[in-house]
Amino acid sequence: MARVFRPGNLKEALHFLDAERAAVLAGGTDFMLKAGRYPGAEFAVLSIGHLHELKRIAIDAANVLSLGAVCTLSEILESPLVPLFLKLPIAEIGSPAIRNAATAGGNVCNASPAGDVLPMLYALDATLVLKSHGDQHEMQIRDFIQGPGLIRIAAGQMLTEIRIPLRQTWRCTWRKVGGRRANSVSKTSFYALIDRTSRGLGDVRIALGAIAPTVVRSREAERIILDAYRGKPSQRCTEIIALYDALISPIDDSRSCRDYRRTVSLGLLENFLTEVMRI
Amino acid sequence: MLEMKSISVPAGRLDFSEKMTGAAKFCQDLRPHGMFYAKTLRSSKPRAKIRAVRLPLLPDNVVIVDWRDVRGKNIVPIVTDDQPFFARDQVNYIGEPILVATGPNPDELRKIIDSIQVDYEELPAVLTIEEALSRTSDIIYGDHPWFVSYEYLKGDPDTAIHEAAISVEDEFHTGYQEQAYLEPQSMLAEQKDGVMTVRGSMQCPFYVEEALMQALGWERTRVRVIQLPTGGGFGGKEDYPSIPAVHAALAAIKTGRPVMLVYDRGEDIMCTTKRHPSCIRVKSHLDANNHIIAREIEVLSDAGAYCGLSGVVLQRMIYSVPGVYQVQNLRVSGRACATNKVPSGAFRGFGGPQAFFAIEMHMEHVAREIGVDPLLFRKTHFLRQGDLTATGGRLRSPVELEAITDSVCTLSDYYEKRSTPKEPGGKLRGIGFSAFFHGCGFTGADERDIISARVRLCKGEDETVNLYVSSAELGQGAITTLSKIAAETLDIPLSQVLCGYPDTGVCPNSGPTVASRTILVVGRLVQEAALKMKEHWDEAFCETESHFRYPGGFSFDKKLHTGDAYLEYAWGANVVEVEVDPITYSCNILGAWAAFDIGTPIDTTIAAGQVHGGMTQGLGYGCMEVLDMKAGRPLQCSLTDYMIPTSLDVCKIDFRFVQSESVLGPYGARGMGELTLVGAAPALAAAVENAIGKPVTQLPVTSEYIMELSRHG
Ligand SMILES: Cc1cc2nc3c(=O)[nH]c(=O)nc-3n(C[C@H](O)[C@H](O)[C@H](O)COP(=O)(O)OP(=O)(O)OC[C@H]3O[C@@H](n4cnc5c(N)ncnc54)[C@H](O)[C@@H]3O)c2cc1C
Repeated sequence: MARVFRPGNLKEALHFLDAERAAVLAGGTDFMLKAGRYPGAEFAVLSIGHLHELKRIAIDAANVLSLGAVCTLSEILESPLVPLFLKLPIAEIGSPAIRNAATAGGNVCNASPAGDVLPMLYALDATLVLKSHGDQHEMQIRDFIQGPGLIRIAAGQMLTEIRIPLRQTWRCTWRKVGGRRANSVSKTSFYALIDRTSRGLGDVRIALGAIAPTVVRSREAERIILDAYRGKPSQRCTEIIALYDALISPIDDSRSCRDYRRTVSLGLLENFLTEVMRI
Repeated sequence: MLEMKSISVPAGRLDFSEKMTGAAKFCQDLRPHGMFYAKTLRSSKPRAKIRAVRLPLLPDNVVIVDWRDVRGKNIVPIVTDDQPFFARDQVNYIGEPILVATGPNPDELRKIIDSIQVDYEELPAVLTIEEALSRTSDIIYGDHPWFVSYEYLKGDPDTAIHEAAISVEDEFHTGYQEQAYLEPQSMLAEQKDGVMTVRGSMQCPFYVEEALMQALGWERTRVRVIQLPTGGGFGGKEDYPSIPAVHAALAAIKTGRPVMLVYDRGEDIMCTTKRHPSCIRVKSHLDANNHIIAREIEVLSDAGAYCGLSGVVLQRMIYSVPGVYQVQNLRVSGRACATNKVPSGAFRGFGGPQAFFAIEMHMEHVAREIGVDPLLFRKTHFLRQGDLTATGGRLRSPVELEAITDSVCTLSDYYEKRSTPKEPGGKLRGIGFSAFFHGCGFTGADERDIISARVRLCKGEDETVNLYVSSAELGQGAITTLSKIAAETLDIPLSQVLCGYPDTGVCPNSGPTVASRTILVVGRLVQEAALKMKEHWDEAFCETESHFRYPGGFSFDKKLHTGDAYLEYAWGANVVEVEVDPITYSCNILGAWAAFDIGTPIDTTIAAGQVHGGMTQGLGYGCMEVLDMKAGRPLQCSLTDYMIPTSLDVCKIDFRFVQSESVLGPYGARGMGELTLVGAAPALAAAVENAIGKPVTQLPVTSEYIMELSRHG
């Protein structure tokens, strides 16, 4: 049987984590599935989903959005502070019941290759705030996630906040490809941002989900795309696609096959380059 | 528009409030004093000899039950005597039960099951239909690779083929479909005063009773089976529940406790029956006037490791596969192949969905080949009232295929959509049609020879009438519709008729709740019993019974497959419109329309529920529900991986009933439970074909398959 500790505040929670090895439970939508596989296992659970300190949504002076780790996906969708380019992927996660329970922090810490919150966080260079009893760290999401289900979190540490630098001018393209239109794990996903102002194209970001052990993003390829757009036709579309092709490593599993994932992922990229970027 | 008959007016489901309020007690809601749980140890090999089973040291209160505890016969009683309740020295599929551990703590039982070691000596497994047919040694069943093999002829195909101007040939493949009922297999067994009572989730209480008598070796008087509120069946609770029921009963006998056996979802998907995968070859021979003069059809189904219901499913497949068309010369054959996989079994449609997918896609392909409009081509071959069916049975009731087709085409704007450009916004649009039937009741004369249904009505002093039938309420509305027939016939308010869940201790055997037979056969008997009661209505107490009588003029020859394959038919046509994304190859269903002739609907709201549910299940079968096997093991053993449609995946379904009265059914009703599923997948597949311009020959039509077709097709 599991022993569940429900702390009154963040301080108590961190104290508990410092004192004993416990599994953190936020919305439980991933956790409970895993726990079901170990019936009767003895372990301590720290429940944090109710902690108000971890539910803050705010934008600071530097235009950085902070999302408390246990904000549910529904709360994020309802917040007027959260821009559309963050809401689009979230709106397609699970179903209403799942979004009411599932948290953004849980999606990050679960580190599934198919986690739908992740591509946008990679594209936006999100930073994670990790707290422990009497200590605090910040880490880039790409350093935090090491592989499927693998995160760099020390004993006693907990994710408390996700910090996302915003730009008003970001426009996003999002495609989730699943087997059905709700409650479906991504077979592959595509997230891209462009920052087009009167002075031209300022930036482009591309993140490919569910196509490698972690989200695929390449700053180098993005620079080449920018160059191509700015009239240096040295790199053609097919060459850009080939760059990404070398970075992805799709798998066969119970939901789809390697060939389909690769074809569709690169097809979405190509469509973005030709239809949105007009390269 | 016909005026609605009073029997058709929606009455409200009698089981509505208990289910909506949560008052209904399902199996897992029960906790009799001292109850034990049970968990099953299953084979992890597709085919192996069991050398030894090594148990860990067991706590005192944990008891193991296996083949040694079967005092009666260790064979599940369905059609062919080949499947044991517990494997003894050999296993034939992954998931086959070997033993059951029973005790007070389910978590502990699971640990014990995980720590039991089975020494297997692996045997060469047969994993596909092709492998089965190419085998010359290590055959699974008898001395041939199939459980049953059938063939029938109509007319003189050889001569006609000789005279044909053109021939068109196709080969189709369909995959598994899992019933995915909400409530997994659940049974509670309790022994008291020498009587074994089993309650649980089931479609056919008398099948379970039969199984208990056989396994326990007990008399009928010592066995009682009661259906509990059941969270869906769809055929998955036709024959399978016999196995968990016997396991729970044996555990209850050995421990002296009530024992509850409930499968978890992964276990349920892995080891219970599913829709048969199939390979169907169709070859049509046409004369110079584009008329089909002969057809050759070969059906192969993947039966899995034990025969089970595969023979009867195959019969329905081969009687359905000629479709709704009049073809004078036919050669149809079928084989149900033995493979080392979970036994295939009953699933709403019972062979029909595979058959109509094949014949309807083939009709599209032939029409395309000869350059004729596919609907026109179909219409020139439609069956009519008075015609002889493929097996030479007479179509006695009206056959309104033209009206059905026109109705669904008008409703869906089929012709307009079929002829307009197909690429709004870069998406590929397509629209497809299917026409189909479902034979109602058991095949051939089996309603007489195997079932011989009975129903009973009892009137008490307070003028309430108790209706005793063994038809199970599965959410489809059986209790309500049968009660309505009694009330209407007796001309009393519905509230005066009482009908509970079936209990073999008090109900006569009116047969299983399968085969779209409940209204047609049982409903008819209820009507007859009510008519008899009406004559004695003035008596203080009155009890009437009625028995099934095979209608005069009908006959069927099982060996030759000739005669009336079914008592009655229900007819339908579907149209589905889709949009295919050329980048992701995903298929979005834009619209689904239907027209059905179910005769008189006994309650239009309940009938609408069957349309929505059946078509949704058929659309899922058509494009989404993938169950693959790898080395004999199902890969999608959760409802995350085995995907059924959500409410977002299903569009609005619009339909009409074309009502032509059955000559047999009560108030002119035919059957409808399965009909609604049968045509959705072929209409969807035809729509995808229309969208992408490549022939579709496989179900389900997944994005991955559409990608393949788009590239190579
Ligand atoms: C039916 C269904 C549909 C789903 N659909 C989708 C989908 O479409 N897309 C998608 O991406 N996901 C989907 N999921 C997965 C899941 O809902 C998401 O990953 C969700 O965001 C997880 O959040 P949670 O709060 O429930 O996490 P939990 O289950 O509570 O936790 C997940 C993991 O993260 C750890 N953890 C959580 N919070 C913290 C923290 N603050 N600090 C340290 N560790 C922490 C936990 O210990 C656990 O290991 C679905 C799940 C279900 C059951």
